[in-house]
Amino acid sequence: MDLVRHLECFVAVAEESHFGRAAARLGMAQPPLSQRIQRLERELGVRLFERTSRQVTITAAGRLLLAEARELLARSESFLAAARRVRDGEKGLLRAALPPDLPGETVAALLDGFRRRHADLELELHELSTTEQLTRLAAHELDIGVVHHPCDVTGLELGPVLRRELGVLLPADAPQARLDAVPLRSLSGYDLILFPRESAPALYDDLLTACARGGYTPASVRHGQGTSFVRGLVLSARAVALAPRDTARRDPPDAPRSARPDAAESGRPGPGRHPGSADVVWRPVAGDPPAWRHSAAWPEGRGDAAVQAFADAAAHALRTTAGAVPDVPARPLHLRPASEFWL
Amino acid sequence: MTDALTRIRAAFADAGVTGRLHALDIDTGAQLDEGADQPVCTASVHKLCLLVALHREAAAGRLDLTERVDCPPDARTKGPTGLAVMLDSARLSLRDLAYLMIAVSDNAAADLLLGRVGLDTVNAATDRLGLTRTRAVHTFGEMLATLKEDAGPGGAGALTDPHVIARLRALDPARTNRSTPREMTRLLAAVWRDEAGTAEHCAAMRRLLALQVWPHRLASGFPFDDVHVAGKTGTLPTVRNEVGVVEYPDGGRYAVAVFTRTANPAAALPAADAVIGTAARLAVDGLRARQATG
Repeated sequence: MDLVRHLECFVAVAEESHFGRAAARLGMAQPPLSQRIQRLERELGVRLFERTSRQVTITAAGRLLLAEARELLARSESFLAAARRVRDGEKGLLRAALPPDLPGETVAALLDGFRRRHADLELELHELSTTEQLTRLAAHELDIGVVHHPCDVTGLELGPVLRRELGVLLPADAPQARLDAVPLRSLSGYDLILFPRESAPALYDDLLTACARGGYTPASVRHGQGTSFVRGLVLSARAVALAPRDTARRDPPDAPRSARPDAAESGRPGPGRHPGSADVVWRPVAGDPPAWRHSAAWPEGRGDAAVQAFADAAAHALRTTAGAVPDVPARPLHLRPASEFWL
Repeated sequence: MTDALTRIRAAFADAGVTGRLHALDIDTGAQLDEGADQPVCTASVHKLCLLVALHREAAAGRLDLTERVDCPPDARTKGPTGLAVMLDSARLSLRDLAYLMIAVSDNAAADLLLGRVGLDTVNAATDRLGLTRTRAVHTFGEMLATLKEDAGPGGAGALTDPHVIARLRALDPARTNRSTPREMTRLLAAVWRDEAGTAEHCAAMRRLLALQVWPHRLASGFPFDDVHVAGKTGTLPTVRNEVGVVEYPDGGRYAVAVFTRTANPAAALPAADAVIGTAARLAVDGLRARQATG
């Protein structure tokens, strides 16, 4: 008996509660599907379904076996993915991508961690936005990526979602720079600097919503991503940027010092203090700060050992070098009547 | 027409959604297609199929729409509107249950009707109209049960977790109530052309669809007092749908079906609701422009 094929039939009938629909989904006729289920029941010595003239329902025993059957099918997919890699001459090649906003130490730690487990594998690493990664994952041009959430996760499997809280980069002489933590609503006179929307549209919208939720609706949004460019805008354009704490450390140590060091700033070794450039400072956001949420992502059913190792290395590197922490439970959700659904 | 499609795609992208759309001129058959044959989760849009089946049963004399049924407060299917939130027992006619089901998407009213009509009859009704890819596989209560089961102990709060979103059976067209945008405009056209039942029954269905209360989706795209909009929405985490008919005073009638998925699982995303109206208007304008230029 081809166990995998029979288990696919079992899961399909269990999920559709209907032989005809399950057969359609599997692309087969109904009689052979019924025969397979009967054969499986005989082999296992377990009755999986109750059949009446109108419908088919899973038995208590069937329900007990369903989760294990799904797991076995997922493992077999993973096995086939590994076999594909070998067959297609891709043995030794993993195509992976990272977003452009990870600290250098994180990228290095990830590569080290991955090489320790798969020294024989060649790693083809790309720097790609979430949008570009999703497109390539869907086209199977990429084996694994590290994406920003929220994003469209249809057809993807995910590693653990990790959170990097964002603070605010602002001019050292701004009054808010004297605060230990900056309330978002205090930024209302400033424009906001954000990455171009197309690189991660849902995250872009989500960050603007988080700012609005905190009482900060910027009069205009300026687009920039490179550290120096963003710093220039912060210094001269009455604009602030959202960034994780490590961004503050990333500035070159020989960056020019402010011509007019802020009295309140000097001498205070506060958190996020720029080591080299006192003209731009990083401060935590007070209260419920906005965050970046990352996870590894790969196409469903293609999580072989190499992919898994990369996902593990990415999670480990984010935790140990980028201050990422497991995602916290969401805020309360008040469903409104137009939601139509209810739990 | 290409221009309309380009603008529709841009509107979907601006709103942060993946959208599928079909628009059909009910009288000329002219159409506009953006992923119109993709399988989609219907969610509460399937209440339209149930409405058609209900009227078909009534037309065949198998039930009486004025018959009153008891709606005890316990064991009602959950939902945020209508009988699903009302506290006391009620006794309503089948057609008034249908009103609640369409006007406010009342899940309790829908499942009372579905209990009466049966899933097989709903599928038989859509089969008869040639909608081979439209299938109801469970009641609204059963669909919500999969949502609850897949969300796990975190409840509704877990619905913003990407892992949870990725595993929701209710979002997989292969495992839940489903259709395609093209089949839904075909169904609407049948209701508007008196082909989904007798003229009297079709008029009753059109009346209910015009009584839907929601202003935020399809209707938001047509802020014109002289334009008539009727439709039925459908919503699940990341899913926002509406199918309906837009009628202009010059007699133009257009069936539009828009099915969207957001990347963001947040429940409140007004731009994602509004783009359903925007995309529908761009589509209808495209069809009307084609007619004007012959």
